[in-house]
Amino acid sequence: MNKFLLDYNLKVRLPIIIFVVLAVFAITYYSSFAERNGIGYSPDQPIAYSHELHAGQMQIDCQYCHTNVEKSAFANVPSTDVCMNCHNFARTDRPEIQKLTQYYKEGKPIPWKRIHRLPEFVYFSHSVHVNKGIDCVNCHGDIARMEKVGQVSSFTMAACLDCHRNPEKRIQDFELIKANIKKGPEYCSACHR
Amino acid sequence: MNKNSELTKGVITSNDLYDTKEETYNNKDVNYWRGFRELYNDPEFRKEVESEFDDDAGKPFDTSKLSAISRRKFLALLSASAAVAAAGCSNYRDKGEIVPFNQKPENLVEGNPNYFASTFQIGGEEIGVLVKSREGRPIKVNGNPEHPVSKGKANLAAQATVLALYDPDRIREPKASSDKNSFSTIQWNDADAKIIETLRAATTAGKEISIFTSSVISPTQRKLFDDFIQQFPTTKIYPFEQVNNSVKNSAWNKIYGQNIAPAVKWDEAKVIVALECDFLGLEDGKTEAMRLFAKNRDLINNPDNYSRLYSIEGSTSLTGLNSDYRLRLRTDAIEELILALVNEFGVKRGGSALSLESGIVSKVSSFNINAVAEKYGLDKEVIGHLVKDLDANRGTSIFVAGASLPESTQISTYLLNEILGNTKLYSFDFKQDLTPLSTTAELADLSGKMKGGQVGVFINFDSNPVFDLPRNLGMAEAIMNVETVISFTEIDNETSIKSNYVLPCNNPLESWGDYNSRISYFGLQQPLIAPLFNTRQKEAVMLNWMRGGNNFNESIYHQYLKDNWQQNLYPILNASASFNDFWFDALHDGFVLLPSQTQESLQFNQSAVIQAQPIKPSGGKVVLLTRNYTLGDGKYSNNGWLQELPHPVSKIVWDNYAAISLATAKANGLDSNDLVNVSIGDRTVTLPVFVQPSMADDVIAIELGCGRSSGGKVSEGTGFDVVPLIGNDGISPWVYNNASISKATGTYELVSTQEHYPIDSPKFKDIQFKRRIIQQGTYKQFKSNPKDIVDRVEVEGIDLREFPSINGEPIKYTGVKWAMAIDLNKCTGCGECIMSCNVENNIPVVGKDQVANKRAMQWIRLDRYYFGTPEDARANFQPMLCQHCDFAPCENVCPVVATTHSEDGLNGMTYNRCVGTRYCANNCPYKVRRFNYFNFRHEFKDYHYHNDSMQLAMNPEVTVRSRGVMEKCTFCVQRVMKARQDAISANRELKGTDVITACQEACPANAITFGDMNDKSDPIQAYRNSDIAFYSLEEVKVRPNVTYISQIFNIEEEIPKAGHHND
Repeated sequence: MNKFLLDYNLKVRLPIIIFVVLAVFAITYYSSFAERNGIGYSPDQPIAYSHELHAGQMQIDCQYCHTNVEKSAFANVPSTDVCMNCHNFARTDRPEIQKLTQYYKEGKPIPWKRIHRLPEFVYFSHSVHVNKGIDCVNCHGDIARMEKVGQVSSFTMAACLDCHRNPEKRIQDFELIKANIKKGPEYCSACHR
Repeated sequence: MNKNSELTKGVITSNDLYDTKEETYNNKDVNYWRGFRELYNDPEFRKEVESEFDDDAGKPFDTSKLSAISRRKFLALLSASAAVAAAGCSNYRDKGEIVPFNQKPENLVEGNPNYFASTFQIGGEEIGVLVKSREGRPIKVNGNPEHPVSKGKANLAAQATVLALYDPDRIREPKASSDKNSFSTIQWNDADAKIIETLRAATTAGKEISIFTSSVISPTQRKLFDDFIQQFPTTKIYPFEQVNNSVKNSAWNKIYGQNIAPAVKWDEAKVIVALECDFLGLEDGKTEAMRLFAKNRDLINNPDNYSRLYSIEGSTSLTGLNSDYRLRLRTDAIEELILALVNEFGVKRGGSALSLESGIVSKVSSFNINAVAEKYGLDKEVIGHLVKDLDANRGTSIFVAGASLPESTQISTYLLNEILGNTKLYSFDFKQDLTPLSTTAELADLSGKMKGGQVGVFINFDSNPVFDLPRNLGMAEAIMNVETVISFTEIDNETSIKSNYVLPCNNPLESWGDYNSRISYFGLQQPLIAPLFNTRQKEAVMLNWMRGGNNFNESIYHQYLKDNWQQNLYPILNASASFNDFWFDALHDGFVLLPSQTQESLQFNQSAVIQAQPIKPSGGKVVLLTRNYTLGDGKYSNNGWLQELPHPVSKIVWDNYAAISLATAKANGLDSNDLVNVSIGDRTVTLPVFVQPSMADDVIAIELGCGRSSGGKVSEGTGFDVVPLIGNDGISPWVYNNASISKATGTYELVSTQEHYPIDSPKFKDIQFKRRIIQQGTYKQFKSNPKDIVDRVEVEGIDLREFPSINGEPIKYTGVKWAMAIDLNKCTGCGECIMSCNVENNIPVVGKDQVANKRAMQWIRLDRYYFGTPEDARANFQPMLCQHCDFAPCENVCPVVATTHSEDGLNGMTYNRCVGTRYCANNCPYKVRRFNYFNFRHEFKDYHYHNDSMQLAMNPEVTVRSRGVMEKCTFCVQRVMKARQDAISANRELKGTDVITACQEACPANAITFGDMNDKSDPIQAYRNSDIAFYSLEEVKVRPNVTYISQIFNIEEEIPKAGHHND
């Protein structure tokens, strides 16, 4: 290899290659950040349940179904008998309702696809947050307008800490609940144990 | 180092401790007592003290256990499996499913626990428990706080029932064998049909149907047996407990004509004299005794009443080590001392509450206190105190004889209590077993009938006669001569493997039942979970047989129990509620109080005393057999939690041993870990010896219940079977004074969680005081000058709170700040806290080999320090857990900030952040951090505790730690967070008393207090501000948040004081 070519390779081609590789990595990394955090994940559910219809148009309160959200760490997915409170009578002619009724009659649980998940070493409590007046929409987005629920915000530790550090910027209608809220804890054992 | 500076004053440096100078090693002290450490010249010992850490601590792993797959093959497999995984990968965003209930049970809130009251039978005792259940899985057993006896405290075996429920070794299907050897699975229906046939055949042929069971204390079980006898009239019931109160009861019966000996009102006694009586450790009713005893050992809330405990014993028991004065006396000589005291108080001094008949006077006339003291080398000063105390406390002192003592000793003890007017301290709540225990003669008769073919069907009713019964009855052969042997059991045992039918029965957490071992109440047991495997409740199976065998369902015994209560119990209570309401109330409470009964007055029968032949000490050695501290009669030996709980006295795990005194060891040329032959007559057992400080000379104390040959995978190869020593030639079934001991070939490694150092070597003598780990004093000092007891280390001008925290700014602790206080006077060292912590915090079982490598994982280390001489050592017990130091040395050495402080004063451990450098453990002055050298659930007995069923036993609120992670006590942060969540839900401030830690919950003596040190009204303030409160290792100035209350002995003499180390 002549000296010129070596020189050219080292001084021009190599930096360009390195630049392109890094640039591609950086762009991919940042553009896929949200997706890697699960944002936009909106799987098909075994029954095409519409929050838009129930929570939006009919304005059923979240806690009619997610009963534990004030009492326990978990906001439960309702058991089938809760659905049947209404759907014993309501809209029994619809195919999705018939699917639901079948699940209920067979005594089988409905295998809903999970949308929001924290790692197992994180102990998040719905009860603490909801009882402080923090509305569901702060983390879950405007569920009442979702035909099919998907994840809209990030559930990383950075996101949790962001809100714990700057609640006034992050929480909707902060002024209304300001009196209730102290800054959220930042120490590790608040969530990890 | 400047030894005169204020900061190092009174501080022992490692140079002082681990002095390597030649002359120290050559300075041979004749008094030290621990074999290889006797020789300070021993190169191994020298290496050990010089290197600080034991070689084993860094031991990697046993290469012989490594997989045979080569590295290349492993890599090939790895890449192949990665390729397969990648090809099979469908959706990387998939997060699994959420599967809610179809119909949600009432009162269940996902994420919140439910509590159910129940009752367990542990040996011959009933324990009222409250079981915590998460989403239908029982995960923790506590005492029932409203229960009249439990008062919120269970015991070790009851707490460990959770592990027994999920034990992977449980039999999952019924099985049958025609030759009592090779088994095949059988359907319940087939087994039932065949068994009913044999039962009928046996009845027709007039052959006996023997039911061998543990104590019958369940009224409905008793009714079931009665109904069974109606149906099959040749049935006979044989209730049996290996260690029981029969001798005590028969002595009481001879004197007072009542069937059951009373308990003691421990809280009303000012002077307690325990005669070979481990009422804080091994005797029945221990949990209640500890609670009542602790009431008068509480200097914070009850400083004016402090009882004095004397202990006169041959073995070194937990009670002995907790006593104020202790006399070492061989077990068969105790009676002489009692008779001498009878002579002193009944004859020589006036004021006897009972006028003695001349027969007794002449019987005791030859016994004299001084002569007895002279003969056995008893400390005359202690005897002097005893006599003085008894004289001054007539009516409020009590002598208690251990259940193992012979009948004549028991009778003399009752006599002495009568003379001193102590009978009003008896508490008459115990009730006789509903079917009395079988006598030795009845059992011999049973064995004879079995051998002679007169027994048609032998039903082993969740017991284990082949292992438990004295071997001279020949049960192992006898059982082979019985046509049909049926064993109900949860885990295979020595009897079930010789049975024709092995019927797996339900765990107590899957069973219905009722209990009535006390006069004042009925206990009720309810199932917490449907049977995990294809098991059935043993009572229900019997009921099914009686009813023809075709109509079994889960609830037949439930219905039978309910009917029995409706017919027999409900009417006598005159309850205003309907039976249904009454029943659900009873289920909710777990017990039903019964109307009080008047106690018949006591009539002392003096002729019984005259007839009793006093025990004469022989020239032979005394063998004292006791039940196992954790395993009972061996029924619980497949329970890893119980096996690994350090013995409270010796700290030995996974084994039993022959405990002997130093002098006996020297006389026989023995050392700890030597195998010895212990012989009584022609019966010999080989087991390792352990030189136990404070044992009486010529006494060999051995625990039963170990050495199971077929008791499940966990119990394999643990301990030594000493049941063969039981015979008919003892002075009681558990005490023999004609034994001998001789060295056998070989040694056996006993493993303990605490280093055994020579307590009187200059290096280690009184180390707990030199380092101010423990502070102590006497009650006399406490009354006169309490401030003088604690030797404080104070540094003026430095507020360590100003030191920077790991997070930069110093934490101000403005809100709740958690702190713990442990009262060393109430703590007896029983170990219930360790068990509770194990269950709560998902602590793994590591196995004997790993404990030997110093890798035990229990978060609480119950330290036992001796002081005094090896012959007559006293002890301090101290639960040592993470002290949550304000200025925690572990935090500032962690390179990845995995252990940090929180605003409420907790030293947190973030497992997902930990990379396992172990710097924190090295920097911890209390050595309370535990490292997961393995994923111990995989490592222990080849994945044994990694079984599916074990996943259900885990507490979902606590991370299950894996390999390479450091862990330690978190002050039950999950409970703190739950309390915080509940306070926020209820819109109130969090209070210190909202949190009860797992150790505090289980402590039978209520020695642990947990609360908010910033709240002036919190009960913990009384402890923290007490004159006798101290911090362990105060000199290292890390500002711990666990306050200890100095140990106060109620003695007249001076005892070593902390901080003094002139030697």
